[in-house]
Amino acid sequence: MSELPWGRRLLMCRPEHFTVLYEINPWMHTEVRPDPDRAMAQFDGLMAQLLAAGAQIELMEPVEQLPDLVFTANAGVVNGRQFVPARFRHPERQGETAHDAAWFTAHGFAVEWLPDDVVHEGAGDALPFGAPGAPGEPLVLVSAYRFRSDARSHPALSMLTGAPVRSVELTDERLYHLDLTFCPLDDRRAMVAPLGLDAYGRKVIDALVPELLVLEEDEALAFCANSVVVGRNVIMPSCPPRLGRILESWGFAVAVAPVDEFLMAGGACRCLTLALDVDLRG
Amino acid sequence: MAPAIETVEIEGHIIDSLILAKVMDLVLAAGADYEVQSVHIGRTNRDISRARIQISAPSDEILGPLLSQLQAHGANRVVQGDAELVAADTDGVLPAGFYATTNLPTWVRVSGRWVGVVNPEMDCGIVVRPGREQPVRTVPMHRVRAGDLVVVGSDGVRVEAPERPRGAGPFEFMTSEVSSEKPKAVVVAEVADRVRREKTAGKVLAVCGPAVIHTGAGPDLARLVRAGWIDILFAGNGFAAHDIEANVMGTSLGVSMGGGTPSDGGHANHLRVINEVRRYGSIAAAVEAGYVDGGVMYECVRRGVPFVLAGSPRDDGPLPDVYRDVVEAADAMRYLVSGVTVALMLASTLHAIATGNLLPAGVQTFCVDINQAVVTKLADRGSHQALGIVTDVGLFVSQLAEQLGGTPG
Repeated sequence: MSELPWGRRLLMCRPEHFTVLYEINPWMHTEVRPDPDRAMAQFDGLMAQLLAAGAQIELMEPVEQLPDLVFTANAGVVNGRQFVPARFRHPERQGETAHDAAWFTAHGFAVEWLPDDVVHEGAGDALPFGAPGAPGEPLVLVSAYRFRSDARSHPALSMLTGAPVRSVELTDERLYHLDLTFCPLDDRRAMVAPLGLDAYGRKVIDALVPELLVLEEDEALAFCANSVVVGRNVIMPSCPPRLGRILESWGFAVAVAPVDEFLMAGGACRCLTLALDVDLRG
Repeated sequence: MAPAIETVEIEGHIIDSLILAKVMDLVLAAGADYEVQSVHIGRTNRDISRARIQISAPSDEILGPLLSQLQAHGANRVVQGDAELVAADTDGVLPAGFYATTNLPTWVRVSGRWVGVVNPEMDCGIVVRPGREQPVRTVPMHRVRAGDLVVVGSDGVRVEAPERPRGAGPFEFMTSEVSSEKPKAVVVAEVADRVRREKTAGKVLAVCGPAVIHTGAGPDLARLVRAGWIDILFAGNGFAAHDIEANVMGTSLGVSMGGGTPSDGGHANHLRVINEVRRYGSIAAAVEAGYVDGGVMYECVRRGVPFVLAGSPRDDGPLPDVYRDVVEAADAMRYLVSGVTVALMLASTLHAIATGNLLPAGVQTFCVDINQAVVTKLADRGSHQALGIVTDVGLFVSQLAEQLGGTPG
């Protein structure tokens, strides 16, 4: 059993301008605004947990009027020194792309674009899974479609990154991104919320992942899959005892970082981070 | 309602992601059908795969929403252009590069829509007449008129492959095959059954060679016509002449129908009969006058069953009803075959092949001949739907008449 080969270098963005200005998922309600101070405190708490787990963190500059820039997971797909920026579905978030691309360019990444007639929301809808096998053997990129990304973006993403893509269809709008439904834990294990997947997607995940931790409906809706894995550490927005016991029996150290202010915008721990050390070439 | 057809393409890791399976399932669940036209599977799990799938739905109302549904899974309509149309510049001459038809169901893309060819017929051109009630029709070469818009090339033309019969009926062994080694009673019963079934929906055509009369099947065929089982009859001068000879003189080619012995001067019997009918001016007039008082042609006249007698250079006479212009004969046959659902080719080679050329592939065709080569010849000329029954036509017709019995329905 090997640890995840990625997830030790993370990009985050402080929630200085974080709020709920619009409603683009079922969790957002503009009349229920998050508390800025509590949000900041929770963000710092999450950062502290990640640092304690051994992660390195890069911070990008927050931008006014782009409240969701804090959800860096959606910035794009990282592959070695290649960065493929997201094509956001909603105009409300499309303004983020220029800032994301600028940050990656400034940090030495080669920015390569998806065609402009597809939508794909970055690592929020694309997570690598698998063991780096023979040299040069790529990881499999599990990518979702339906709510925020479309199926047509997947072959384009595969051609840009060279990674085989397993497309899965999301079915529950409350779990509108893949990272609310699927969470790779190491090279053989992952958490999955069947609630969010159609029958074909479940089969695909079942065939791909040797050992699955299947999330119950309430666990899925508490965003348990939206956890950050740093080596053997799992930083979760909340952890029901059942999950905690299983994860610990599998040798993981579980830490809870409450981020309920961010849940008001439909995001949790994983959404607030983007792994910078993903290399799909294995 | 016209069937609606569209082709979609899908690419990606569609095998491992079960997307291809999902798309196929969705098509079937919508009550439509698919045909995978091509699949390119990536060499390694890293390579992407591509599939092109033709979807046919019972109607546009089903196809439209299905296509939008499939789009969500990455299956996109293949943008296909309209068929190229070129105006004929000379009467009776198709533009160079014209699309040569098959007898299969065919669709032509006109103004972004697939329009079915009304009258599939092999070896014709396709003429498009926008705004007409039947805007896309096959037209034989000699019938094209200067200015007709003719389909050129094969872009924007689609042909539906013939469906193989499913199930294990006694006919399965005979699909596009000739069989001389099967129990004839079973085969005759099955033909009778098909005739009975198709009779409710369409017309039954009999194409007859003179052997029908020589083998003594005339009275049985006459019985089938009289009972209303046969709606249309195609034959040549010989068949009609010997049928009348048998009824007027009691011989066929001079041989007594009863005793089987050549009658004195009998070789001229058919000539005398033809000569007399020519005196009356038509077979119908000869029937009217009482000169012909029985037989297949007599029953056709009495029942108003239309017939086409197509001539050939070796004909004696010929009978006044025989078409002397082969193109006119083919046109007369072409006019009558619309609505035919069963064709019985009875011991006829030339007329059977001519008729086979005119029939759409969907027409159930039974080719009965003692000579296996006739059936093979018909299939080789494109009438793949023909089922061959190698047997004596006299026995076959008499058994069929017995099986079908009284009147249809």
